[in-house]
Amino acid sequence: MVKRLLRRNETYLCFVVIAFCATVTAVNPAFFTLQNFFDLLHDSSGSAILAVGFLVILLSGGIDVSFPAVAIMGQYIAVKALIALHVSSLALALAISCGVGLVFGAVNAFFISFFNISTLIVTLGTSGLFYGAMLQVLGSAGVYASVLPNCFKVFGRTNVFQLKTLTGSSYGLSVFALVLAGVVILSWIILRRTLLGRVIYAMGGNMEAVRRSGVNIRAIQFFMYCYMGLLAGVMGVMSGSLIQYSDPTYIVDTELLPVLAGVMLGGASIMGGAGTITGTLLGMALIALLEKNLVLLGIPSYWDQFFVGVVLVVGVSVTHIQRRIRGRRQLSLLRE
Amino acid sequence: MADNVLEVKHIFKAYQGVQALRDVSLSVGRGEVHCLVGENGSGKSTLIKVIGGVVAPDRGEIVIGGRAHARLQAIEAIREGIQIIYQDLSLYPNLSVSENISLNQMIEKGVRLTTRKKMQALAAKGLEEIGETIDLDERVENLSIARKQIVAITRALTQGAKLIIMDEPTTAITRGEVEHLFSVISGLKARGISIVFVSHKLSEVFEIAESVTVLRDGNKVGDYPAAELDDAKLTFLMTGQSFTSSPYRFDETRRGEPPLLEVRGLTKTGQFTDISFSLWPGEILGIVGLVGSGRTEVALTLFGLNSRDAGTILMDGKPVDVKSPEEAAKLGIAYLPEDRLNQGLFVARAIGDNIVVTILKSLLSRLRLIDRPKRREVENRWIERLKIKTPTAAAAAFGLSGGNQQRVVLAKWLATEPRVFILDGPTVGIDISSKSNIHEIIRNLAEHGMAIVMISDEIPEVLRNCNRILVMRKGRIEREIRNVHEMTEERLFDVVTARRPEEVQ
Repeated sequence: MVKRLLRRNETYLCFVVIAFCATVTAVNPAFFTLQNFFDLLHDSSGSAILAVGFLVILLSGGIDVSFPAVAIMGQYIAVKALIALHVSSLALALAISCGVGLVFGAVNAFFISFFNISTLIVTLGTSGLFYGAMLQVLGSAGVYASVLPNCFKVFGRTNVFQLKTLTGSSYGLSVFALVLAGVVILSWIILRRTLLGRVIYAMGGNMEAVRRSGVNIRAIQFFMYCYMGLLAGVMGVMSGSLIQYSDPTYIVDTELLPVLAGVMLGGASIMGGAGTITGTLLGMALIALLEKNLVLLGIPSYWDQFFVGVVLVVGVSVTHIQRRIRGRRQLSLLRE
Repeated sequence: MADNVLEVKHIFKAYQGVQALRDVSLSVGRGEVHCLVGENGSGKSTLIKVIGGVVAPDRGEIVIGGRAHARLQAIEAIREGIQIIYQDLSLYPNLSVSENISLNQMIEKGVRLTTRKKMQALAAKGLEEIGETIDLDERVENLSIARKQIVAITRALTQGAKLIIMDEPTTAITRGEVEHLFSVISGLKARGISIVFVSHKLSEVFEIAESVTVLRDGNKVGDYPAAELDDAKLTFLMTGQSFTSSPYRFDETRRGEPPLLEVRGLTKTGQFTDISFSLWPGEILGIVGLVGSGRTEVALTLFGLNSRDAGTILMDGKPVDVKSPEEAAKLGIAYLPEDRLNQGLFVARAIGDNIVVTILKSLLSRLRLIDRPKRREVENRWIERLKIKTPTAAAAAFGLSGGNQQRVVLAKWLATEPRVFILDGPTVGIDISSKSNIHEIIRNLAEHGMAIVMISDEIPEVLRNCNRILVMRKGRIEREIRNVHEMTEERLFDVVTARRPEEVQ
């Protein structure tokens, strides 16, 4: 059991996360409070949801870089629609945002499955295309908290339960954590307990063999890209609710790097076929800790991207070297 | 005949005007091991794909278990109990053994939910049926090719296979593993499962098959009971030609002259120890040994691709220091690598580019540009001389058959006018008629005074073409065989594998 654990990438990642927390606490004891962890969860649940969707597609050997565009489009269109309709309904906002995501995902899947075009090229292309069109039609003006439909503000502030600090100020666990938990459980069931999930892994291992097995690959591709779109739609609404502001230039430039870094750090292979939800969550946790807490270490926040980049390059190199060593050990076994 | 699992009747199939199959029929009985043989391009693969429903025939019908199909869908073929194990095995390297075995049948049955336990149970049952044990949780990419094959066979079996077609299953596994595979096949046969075995290794055909169907150029040559065939006859049926197999004779009086290449005490820790031999012009020196015996490493050292710890290399009696392939080429040493596709060729580039790449310097004009007419002339000369089958030198090398590709690699090195030519596995993966043609080229070179070193896994090839053989084992020269014509395949095989150590001494 211990041996199996030691062979897993997740175990080491867990150590790194703990070590990081310990370091920050040593420098700044303000870090190690329940409130801080709840805040962290509130801030990062959205990115973690994106990461889970991204993992599903990465596992199948594909890649989807359109999710930041999908998320911000879903959010902005939902906000604009609600304002135009003079309604404040979270359900409607989610329906619109997820609807945008589903359409987007279906378009991606259409090009990928019918024309057999590289997934990177397709998603890069569609995201530029749709995002550009949206800016043209809806404009690019930010929607401030004063005009933002109330349902967003309420969603962003709702807590599952409330606690009080020693000084008397109250804090709580955001409902965002529940959304994340739901997404994680659903995705875990899909990946681990359904044939669909096994086939997604198999696609990342040997696409040709999956084709020969008689499975409907097209249907699976539609499912995966729509699922990613749906999750991006959810995240879009969450993000607007979190910052109480909707700006169509947000998310697009800021989410791709941390999500990709988190998933890769979590041990997923860019070639597909390898990766776990646990690893992805740990990877995202590390990225979130880095982004939010460098300030506590006295490092200015504009170094964030730099450190995320460093972690990505170093982390992925370590995983690669581990694999190479394992490969070599096997080779020497074969020679004997 | 009600007893036949499969009957293929009068199949025709053309691809873009090329007739791949012309009126081919085949029948396989229950529990029969049937061999399908033919050279590359004879239509074997097309026939398999037609049976598997992957390719639709233009005419003809397929009768499975008494039901006739004019057009068979892949999923129908699977449901009728036909399983094809392709050469690449179609496994999922990143999944576990149990997942690999159970996934396809779950897909076929339309299962939606599953657990690890259920998959393990399915896999364990399948493995038990053929009497094999493999760790169910191991990832398939960590298994040897032979074990992977077992996984693929088990998977086919658990999908209710009545007929398993194996496409060249023995190309990548060792002799011992082949024997194990054959025992598994016998077990399947005993349970009434039919096997179609596609191969071009002749010795295997006799060992495993009861009946043999021979294809040539898309036509069926005939069906034969395996007992009625022998090596020479089968070769004739496959190629339509018979090949002489007189051993290569070297004019022994030439040993009076000084040797061209001399190697003394060549050593590299962990690879080879104290390798010494001499090579005279006109000789074809065979080097045999199991993989890991150090034979390729020695060759690489002579070609400047592998450093040495001790020992000297002499050309014309003068010590030389070969540190790079450039230096080797300058000294007149050429090396044809075993891995033709990755190391021997620029597969995606034109045939002509491949041929002249070693001698670009000699093609430069006064302005240091490549002299085009001169280049064309060189390319065409070699294409003609080695009879490379291509309409133009501008065609890409990947479109050529294995035999023609190898001729391009030969041309590329012959263009440098080498004096010592080291050939590592010169006919790996090449079909019989091309093989004998390449042997002819090699012999011809030796007769004109080139010194050849031939490294090979194939004992008949070495016996037939070399005048002297070195047997390597564990990095040492175990034995030198001078009287090649007195040696038999079996005895040399025993020496190489050290089966009977007392005889080796």
